[in-house]
Amino acid sequence: MAPTAQSTIDARLLAELRELIGDDGMVLRATELKVYECDGWTLEKSAPEILLRPRTTSEVSAILKLLHRRGIAYVPRGAGTGLSGGCLPLGAPVMICTSRMNRILQIDYASRRIEVESGVVNLHVTNAVKARGLIYAPDPSSQVACTIGGNIAENSGGPHTLKYGVTTNHVLGVEIVLPDGEIAELGGPAEERCGYDLVGAIVGSEGTTGIVTRATLKLTRAPAAYRTLLAIFADVENATRAVSAIIAAGIIPGAIEMMDQMIIRAVEAAFHAGLPEDAGAVLIIELDGIAAGIDGHAQKVSELVRGAGAYEVRLARDEAERATLWKARKRAFGAVGRLAPNYATQDGVVPRTRLPDILRAIIAISQRHNIRIGNVFHAGDGNIHPIVLYDERDASETQRAIEAGRDILKACVEMGGSLTGEHGIGVEKMAEMPLIFSPEDLLVMSELRRVFDPDQRANPNKVIPVPGACVEVSVPRRQVAL
Amino acid sequence: MSERDLSALARELEAIVGAAQVRAPSALEARAASIIVEPRDANEVAELVRKCEADAIALAAIGAARTLAQIRPAPVAVGISLARINRVIAYEPDDMTVIAEAGLTIGALNRLTAARGQRLPADPPGPDHTTLGALVAAAQAGPLRLSEGTVRDLLIGVRLVGHDARPIHGGGQVVKNVAGYDLMKVMVGSFGTLGIVTETTFKVRPTPERYTVAIAQFPDLAAALAAAAALHEAVPLIHLEVVSAAVADALGYEALPQVFAGVAGSAEEVAYLLTQAGAMLGSASAIIADAEAATAYEGLRDFAADDAAIVAQIAVAPAELAACLTRSGAEFRAHAGCGVAQIFTRDASNADDLGRTLAHWREIARGARGNLRVLRVNDDFHHELNFFDDPPGPALALMRRLKSTFDPRGVFNPGCFVGGL
Repeated sequence: MAPTAQSTIDARLLAELRELIGDDGMVLRATELKVYECDGWTLEKSAPEILLRPRTTSEVSAILKLLHRRGIAYVPRGAGTGLSGGCLPLGAPVMICTSRMNRILQIDYASRRIEVESGVVNLHVTNAVKARGLIYAPDPSSQVACTIGGNIAENSGGPHTLKYGVTTNHVLGVEIVLPDGEIAELGGPAEERCGYDLVGAIVGSEGTTGIVTRATLKLTRAPAAYRTLLAIFADVENATRAVSAIIAAGIIPGAIEMMDQMIIRAVEAAFHAGLPEDAGAVLIIELDGIAAGIDGHAQKVSELVRGAGAYEVRLARDEAERATLWKARKRAFGAVGRLAPNYATQDGVVPRTRLPDILRAIIAISQRHNIRIGNVFHAGDGNIHPIVLYDERDASETQRAIEAGRDILKACVEMGGSLTGEHGIGVEKMAEMPLIFSPEDLLVMSELRRVFDPDQRANPNKVIPVPGACVEVSVPRRQVAL
Repeated sequence: MSERDLSALARELEAIVGAAQVRAPSALEARAASIIVEPRDANEVAELVRKCEADAIALAAIGAARTLAQIRPAPVAVGISLARINRVIAYEPDDMTVIAEAGLTIGALNRLTAARGQRLPADPPGPDHTTLGALVAAAQAGPLRLSEGTVRDLLIGVRLVGHDARPIHGGGQVVKNVAGYDLMKVMVGSFGTLGIVTETTFKVRPTPERYTVAIAQFPDLAAALAAAAALHEAVPLIHLEVVSAAVADALGYEALPQVFAGVAGSAEEVAYLLTQAGAMLGSASAIIADAEAATAYEGLRDFAADDAAIVAQIAVAPAELAACLTRSGAEFRAHAGCGVAQIFTRDASNADDLGRTLAHWREIARGARGNLRVLRVNDDFHHELNFFDDPPGPALALMRRLKSTFDPRGVFNPGCFVGGL
């Protein structure tokens, strides 16, 4: 379908865009554009009027200069695996997708640096360097598909952030095309910067500061050894107390993940991974590092979790058993589909020591709203992902699911936590931003955004709520794996 | 500002915070600010900002004044000392987080956390003189940056007083948080030009059970730097410092290039790592542990080349560092593996000499896609130098917009940062 007469995309603009990037760089048909109507947050949909697929920084720059002259807003997109609606077009008719800019430009093994185009897939970075004993540490669960550009926009995490940090800790430099089409090189291979840390301001800005076209990333030494333990508990209370016991003992595992009984049973029913179905909760604890001493640490962790109430601790004997445990964890969300027609996943954070409290609060919320809630999450970081089960054909239950989700977020905030640990604000949680930020805080953030984008044409209507506007959520949170 | 204007201003400031909170600067502080005010809380800081903005008076937050005394071409009128805003608000050892006011020193904080076997692993020279505010403002780091990262990796929350005396906060007290823009990164390394940081929240880390250093000396710089590069490739170290002969001498070692490879962890880990490191460093290496290792570390951490004519920090891709250091001909203390070194020379008899040296170093850093920042200059020359590199045009344009957004009246430590910001 050609753009309509009312559209901002008129024939002249189309001709100019065609001149810039050719027919093969543009998607105009409504049937094809439907693919781009949402990201992993599938509950709100809005297709762009046109999708542009530039191949180079200069094409991105030319496109943004043209849109700047015409005052047209755009939304950037990587692989579309985001979970908070970050690349949902809202008042932005043009979508610009970086997926064709997918070259690895330079690898400096001795410096542990890699320079990539922003459309490179996360896992491809590690694949390119692992033969030399290096990895790119941030490992979001979507890493087989998500792009470095998308990771930068969302400041993505993953199970191993507990020890290795999130995206912002691994991005040293970017080439960014600003919303007016200017190209800026910020940072570089050096660890120190010259002037303000603009790279740090751009990472996690959810595409509102421009389009990152290249990035210089830090690489990390691959661990030489792993020890992966499954600790089995009668209830979630003891499991979450065990997390604090490990951290308090000065041990920082690579990952500590928790699953409760509902999730364990769903995983077993679906995949027969050998998890104990009678358990109230399990922790998957992975230690990594050098081989020397790692068995001592595993022994100590084993004692600590037993002290916290684990009635059994299993150590993965080989790589196959380790892979089975991780497969069970990573497929947990897929298994949940068996439990209810629909489910909605929350992303909240509490200080790690408050995990027992937030789990108790979630149980109370579940009872109050008469709705089932399962838990599978990054326990070591205090980053919870409660899964609220419902049936969208039941209007009352759907409404109760929405309210339960909100109540959980409020409980996180009341315990000194945050609205999102790794999924971003996007469109999903704009309305909740005032729960943790004052009007002054939000004003300063919107001023910071305008430093990069004075006209607010870069991914508009995201992250910061418009004062006075009320975002009404009528459907529950997303139902996707993570 | 004339003496008379200054004393009038001092009286006005006394009216805001009380006479006991306004004083004359020390000799060092006098190079940073003409009047020192010591507010007792963030509300008083806000009142002072309001006053200065209303009257277009320049102000700057001051810790020990070491950095500002260097980089300021002339003192600001009002120095806001945070000496009295130095409480620990909340230390949660089991969460490994701490909220503390910006006037607290790293040393004081670490004495508190040591009781729980933890530390803030940011280790610039002189922890007892470095306030958390200064740590954030000047983005300082030390040997532990190799294994623990820098302040930008550790700061998870911040409170500041911004323009219009606005109280602003970013981040939170949880270790994983992507809600809102990252104001922590904006403040780190902003040299007090965007507002006055009053409170900081950090991740803390377990202090390793054991810490040992392997020290090796080399006949020449090239050999020392090559050995460090090979070590970095093969062994996970807690720090990897390389010093030139003059630095070794100043630290009390033989006047030859020396490598200090730090290993940490459990007894078993340390034993294994030392075997690895020792095998690479050869028979010339010495192993020191316990109190001796701690003393050696403190010497390295606190080394500041006090008698140099000029000290600068060069930062490049780690693999480029050895070549840059060799070309510079400077004495140095290098954080090998991080690509960062403090380089200095004692030879400069006049400002022209110094200018040529600095231009040479800058060209070396730029050639390696890195940057250079002057840390300290001999008193005789310090007004005539640009302490910061000029960022490329589009980056500088963004920085100007950031500065004018956060500081529209231009009162926060103006005129000494990149591009004259």
